[in-house]
Amino acid sequence: MPSWPALISQAFNGLALGSLLALVSSGLTIILGTLGVLNFAHGALFAVGAYAAFVMLQYTHSFVLTVVVGCGFMLALGVLLERTIIRLFYNRPHEDQILVTYGIGIVLVECVRAIFGGNAQRVPTPSWGQGATQLGFLIYPTYRLQLIAIVAMLLLSLYLVLYRTSMGLVVRAGIENPGMVGILGINLRRTFLLVFAIGVVAVGLAGMLYAPVVAVTPDMGANFMAQSFVVIVLGGLGSFPGAVIGGLIAGEIISLTSAFNSSYSEVMLYALMALLLVLRPQGLFGSEGRV
Amino acid sequence: MKFDRRQLLLGGAGAAAGLMLPGAGALAQSPASIGTFPDGVSADSVFVGLTIPLTGVFSGDGGDLKLGYELAIAQINAGGEAAQKWGLSGKGVLGRQIRYKVSDTEGKPNLDVQSATQFIQRDKAIMLAGSVSSASAIALEELGSREKVLYMVGIAGSNDITGKNCQRYGFRSQQNAYMAAKALAPVVAKALGKNIKTAYLVPDYTYGHTVYDSFAKFSKEQGWQQVAKEVVPLGTTDYSSALLNIANSGADVFVNIAFGADAVASTKQAEQFGVLKRMKLVVPNLSSFQDKELGAEIMQGVYGSCDFWWTLQDRYPLAKTFVEAFVAQNKYHPRWGAHIGYMQTYLWALTVERAKTFHPVEVIKAMENSKSQPYDTTIGKVYFRAEDHQMVRPIPILRGKAPAEMKNPEDFYEIVDVADGESAMNPPEFFGCKLGPYT
Amino acid sequence: MKAVRSGEARKYLPELSVLVLLLAAPVALPHLGFSTDLLTRVLNWGLIGLGFDILFGLTGLLSFGQAAFFGVGGFVTAYLLVSGTLSSVWLALAAGTVAAGLFGLVVGWLAVRRIGIYFTMITLAFGQMAYFIENSPLSNYTGGENGIPGVPVPTLGFGEHAIRISAGLPMYALFAVIFFAGYVLARRIVHSPVGAILRAIKENTGRVAMLGHNVAAYKLTAFVIAALYAGLAGGLLGSFQSYMPPDAFSLETSGQLVVQTIVGGAGTLIGPLIGAAVWMWLRDNLQLIPAFATLWKLVLGIAFIVLVIGLRRGICGEIAHWWTERRDTAALRAAEAATLAIEASGDAVTITLASHARDIVLPLPAPKRSESRGESEIALEARSLARHYGGLKAVDGVSFKVRCGTIHAVIGPNGAGKSTLFKMLLDEVSPTSGDVLLFGTRITGSGVSQAAQLGIAKSNQLNQLFPNLSVRENLRIAALGRRRGPMRIDLLRSADSLPDAEQQVDSVLALLDLIERAETPAHILAYGEKRRLEIGMALATSPNVLLLDEPLAGMSPSERAATCALIRDIARACTIVIVEHDLNAIFGLAEQITVLYEGRLLADGPPDEIRRNRQVQDAYLGGLHAHEPA
Repeated sequence: MPSWPALISQAFNGLALGSLLALVSSGLTIILGTLGVLNFAHGALFAVGAYAAFVMLQYTHSFVLTVVVGCGFMLALGVLLERTIIRLFYNRPHEDQILVTYGIGIVLVECVRAIFGGNAQRVPTPSWGQGATQLGFLIYPTYRLQLIAIVAMLLLSLYLVLYRTSMGLVVRAGIENPGMVGILGINLRRTFLLVFAIGVVAVGLAGMLYAPVVAVTPDMGANFMAQSFVVIVLGGLGSFPGAVIGGLIAGEIISLTSAFNSSYSEVMLYALMALLLVLRPQGLFGSEGRV
Repeated sequence: MKFDRRQLLLGGAGAAAGLMLPGAGALAQSPASIGTFPDGVSADSVFVGLTIPLTGVFSGDGGDLKLGYELAIAQINAGGEAAQKWGLSGKGVLGRQIRYKVSDTEGKPNLDVQSATQFIQRDKAIMLAGSVSSASAIALEELGSREKVLYMVGIAGSNDITGKNCQRYGFRSQQNAYMAAKALAPVVAKALGKNIKTAYLVPDYTYGHTVYDSFAKFSKEQGWQQVAKEVVPLGTTDYSSALLNIANSGADVFVNIAFGADAVASTKQAEQFGVLKRMKLVVPNLSSFQDKELGAEIMQGVYGSCDFWWTLQDRYPLAKTFVEAFVAQNKYHPRWGAHIGYMQTYLWALTVERAKTFHPVEVIKAMENSKSQPYDTTIGKVYFRAEDHQMVRPIPILRGKAPAEMKNPEDFYEIVDVADGESAMNPPEFFGCKLGPYT
Repeated sequence: MKAVRSGEARKYLPELSVLVLLLAAPVALPHLGFSTDLLTRVLNWGLIGLGFDILFGLTGLLSFGQAAFFGVGGFVTAYLLVSGTLSSVWLALAAGTVAAGLFGLVVGWLAVRRIGIYFTMITLAFGQMAYFIENSPLSNYTGGENGIPGVPVPTLGFGEHAIRISAGLPMYALFAVIFFAGYVLARRIVHSPVGAILRAIKENTGRVAMLGHNVAAYKLTAFVIAALYAGLAGGLLGSFQSYMPPDAFSLETSGQLVVQTIVGGAGTLIGPLIGAAVWMWLRDNLQLIPAFATLWKLVLGIAFIVLVIGLRRGICGEIAHWWTERRDTAALRAAEAATLAIEASGDAVTITLASHARDIVLPLPAPKRSESRGESEIALEARSLARHYGGLKAVDGVSFKVRCGTIHAVIGPNGAGKSTLFKMLLDEVSPTSGDVLLFGTRITGSGVSQAAQLGIAKSNQLNQLFPNLSVRENLRIAALGRRRGPMRIDLLRSADSLPDAEQQVDSVLALLDLIERAETPAHILAYGEKRRLEIGMALATSPNVLLLDEPLAGMSPSERAATCALIRDIARACTIVIVEHDLNAIFGLAEQITVLYEGRLLADGPPDEIRRNRQVQDAYLGGLHAHEPA
């Protein structure tokens, strides 16, 4: 049995880890909830975001500027993908959507590999995030502490866009009843384009912010994608608040399991996912049948 | 249809005998036809099949490994100065040019087997090489022994390759985990002290556990004491929860056993947790590009071992030839993956010339007899142990340089010691090796 | 005689084609860059694909966890052989296959309760769990990430005469034989009653349950079949390459199976095999093009996207579509023309239908009633039924009795709760409180399919047909529900080989006057025909009590008259409860009328009594007077 300080430390770490998982998953859930597309290119887009940060840092030498320019790039990529491919698939079966996004994922990852090679790239911690901070009995990386705040801000602004703007209203109405919104003469196509692009920016942003923490390799997204699936299932498929709560729960599971035995953290994660699907398939915040 | 052709060749005794060339006397006890021999030996060339991950998580190491093979093959085919220094004469091997193909295995053992089988069936490969994981190596050793085609192991450090999964048709040049740990522990203990508390980060797979077992054993002999052991799933991206436990363990030394991208992520995060400020980092098996991927800021002061480091060129002339040719061609300094590919190709070529035939049984026997006639290589004198096909070889022990100490952008390590291989070896039967039959 | 033989030949055309393909492949395909090794691997993928296609292509359940069963089959087989527990490869294969099937039973039991993406996610979760468990806690048995090397090849015969099936052509032959057997079996399953029901589940799950089939049990059957095929393929893989690879368990293996199946064409059985062949051929041969080198995967990815955009049905699906289109196009056009003609005139068919009253005797008997209490017994009884949605009380404490052999109508203005009440009568919706009794037996809580088995059927307000099945097949699913009970695993018999079920279908076809349209896909029918088929499906289950939810909705006057006549005919064989807005028709048909208003019972009595009821008149805001027959 681990000591109380160790458990409390892990609980805190779970929060930090969970907030990042929430950000990573939010893009997946926005696209799924609104467009009904389960985006299997999610992991690849995460990697593209991280590499965008890597490239931009070479030119700008400022992390903030890098993130801003990187978001612009992800937005453009999102628009390009939606206009050329995704829009052809709104009326096709789920399987086809999964398949085509799977293909997009392969292409993106291999493009990254072709340009940058297979080795990990170095994205240094921003100067303002160097070192570790003493929090009572626990030492924690400064950058990760800052990330908690940054992620909270980002998630809040995403929430505001999705729930407090007229575009958000259309988006959510579109989720509930796409036909009706169409009849009302609202331009759904433009809204869909915007939603897809926002989803891509969200996951790209997660990649950029995570880049100083993880190994930036072409295949870095695979594990994050699998975990994002768990997160959105925990929270309820397509539910934005669900993704946030799901992320936090997943973070806590990984962290608290680690307090006992780290090697079971992934098994526990999937076990909980299966359990939840059996007992409460709609997740904690979703309603079954929406997706 | 292929069967018919082979039958035809064997039936036409003259034609078959013509291919066998010298060394025919020894063939009295070996079958005239075995595996891809003699079908795979034409008058002017032989085929070598390389199964290498060019995509997937091992693609970085795979790319390096591939360049090593390609350099060696080009040098051998050209028959120039480099090949002569190794003791080869003429162009190619036994006068035959080496043809080769590279198949991308994506790091999946199943695809290693698939590609290698293609090479055997379609291209009549006389030798197989490649792979960047112990699993792939084990799979290919098994295949090689079944199909009676020689397999020169690529990057694979697990004890099993020349231990419980050893095979008659597989030979490994890289030191195993046991040797690395036994060679490394005394050197590190000498540098860091005897009364040391250690924290381990162990990736949860067979390789991770064997490296841990070996290093824990030999560091304990040095008086080190374990205070934390964090086992993490393979392919973990965020190590924060494990590192939190390590950071609070009060250890003096952090032994990181994670490999490849996992090593990069975990070490990077350890630095952010302040672990590297308070603990010395020891990496029993350094990953190929770990230095470059993490940077000297993080890697300074790290102790570790690996198959090869390019500044060995100051000690061994053949290493100098290798490094210079490699840098000239590829514009970076070779890592140990490239070295394994390079050395294994040469060792095979040398042995074929010693055996004077491509007949796999003869080549294997010549390799098994190499103790009496060691190879002179990029890392000095080496030989394959007959009992388990593990190479007995010197093991370089490295220490990461501080950025200020680096003489050029790739001067990441100083060579603290080159440990004698003979004394680091495990007893041949220690891991339960039973080599299979020759035929 | 000759015609019969050619019909037989056509029936077995797919089997023959596959046989020819398997025989020709090792001769012809090596010239195109397929080695026998590659062909054998393709067959192995095809073998998993047979089971997967039954689960996905036929039943419509997309699993992302097939690697778990592939892995279990493979590792159990390999472990038993390498550890020396079993010496016969065949026995080990059987054990591995059974183990995969049992694991499939457990996972499937949990998974089949979920639909759509939730089903996919649950299989993904179990697949990932299996992967991590194989890699770590069970690594002493599975070799962890190293896998299990040294799996022996199978032998034929015993002792000295045993023939080892070595790599190359002999191994291909073994795989080809197993694949062919697997294919023939899979075809039998597809054409069995179980297969017909699975196909119907993909088309309309809810309706299958209403017809008395235990949907969860059939889905589980499909799941276990898929797991068994995957387990067998896994076991063969280890033996084939003397090595059981750990990546058999990985998510990518499941993903690759899905990709190959959809590229090859889901629902064609052979699709996964073709998909695997294309995928692996591209993989192998793109690499050989020097210009592509490490870019081969990028090129493959692009090719793949183009393929997905272009081929909606997959390769085999498009071929099959083109083939049947060419063959059936005339019949289809004729059917569509007939539909147009019917919709234009509307009357021609239905008038003949309405012309005379008939006795309806269905070949399949209705279920025996639990007890007999004489002539005036109660067929159906609702006891203070209530259904609340949050604060909304859709139905609030409604009780009434339906006498046996009568036509009983339930009416009320919009939003009175009629449809919800109806759904509770056959347990399609479970009541918040209250009970429904069918001949004295409580059916509330037993589920809609059990209710159907007890003899209650419903035709829906909105058509719930199986749109891509023919009229005959639609009715057959209903007849099979009565004939076979809630669940039966008769995988080898043909779906149309139950004579009494076929007679039932023929009788109902005749009754509905749809004989000429028997082979027409349901979605092509004219609106009135679809409505008749909707009723016919309920009738084909030989119910004791038939619930009709707005059977006349959207019909032309002459169609209404015809349908009313049909209802009267049916009423001579079973009790009818009907909800309808057309009050003219209701007062002409019903012997007893229950009036609902805002979820509550307003009145219950014979038509004349209801007609005079002041409250009822008020409820309809005087509308009732306007509808009164002149």
